Amino acid sequence: MNLQVTPSGDVKIVRIDGRVDTINAGELEKPVLEMIEGGSNKIILDCSGLNYISSSGLRVFLVIQKRIMGTPGFFRLSNLQPSIREIFDISGFSTIFSVYADNDSALKG
Amino acid sequence: MADEIKSRQLQIVNQIGELVRIEAFLEELGDSWEFPLPLVMSLNLVLEEAVTNIVQYGYDDTAEHFIDLLFGLEGDRLTITLVDDGHEYDPTAREDPDIHLPAGERPIGGLGIFLIRKIMDTVVYQRKENKNYLILTKKIES
Repeated sequence: MNLQVTPSGDVKIVRIDGRVDTINAGELEKPVLEMIEGGSNKIILDCSGLNYISSSGLRVFLVIQKRIMGTPGFFRLSNLQPSIREIFDISGFSTIFSVYADNDSALKG
Repeated sequence: MADEIKSRQLQIVNQIGELVRIEAFLEELGDSWEFPLPLVMSLNLVLEEAVTNIVQYGYDDTAEHFIDLLFGLEGDRLTITLVDDGHEYDPTAREDPDIHLPAGERPIGGLGIFLIRKIMDTVVYQRKENKNYLILTKKIES
């Protein structure tokens, strides 16, 4: 997994490439939670390069969402690939996350 | 003419790091049995969930245990059987999580077996000779 953070105003766009699974879920959880603790609570997770997610990865998404719910910020997802979108749909995650077609629409909210 | 029956197997030990071997095995199996890529991803997810459960909750001791993954393809019907010698545990007895709860009330975790059930057509558990058998089937659409 690779993470690349691009600021856009007070929003952090985090692009994730590769897999989020049981083995590496912590590599997403730790830096993003640190970002939130550091005061960046407006986060867009750009999933265009995300090609695999398991329940361990979904768990991290939920942890981030819950953490941000206690702040005035937001957590938005963009560019989900169809196969990832399907996992979100069957697990009910599509309805608890704000999912946008691309980063521009995610920035507008 | 009867459908050709193909079979393959993979033996792993009870360590999370073995998920890497499962991923590589499935990629190769997907090529060999001509599975579409989204199916390979779904099967990877199913096996990650099932094996993670066994590794994390199946054993009290620190000894090495073997987990067998058996793959069979008969016509368009895929059967995957996981065999482990961990505690007796029937994942099919678990209630589905409420997937309509808002984020604040969603419990963290408990999704694994639910995803397996959603992706596979049938999920059957058997306990035989002190071993757990999880038998998963799916009709392959080409």
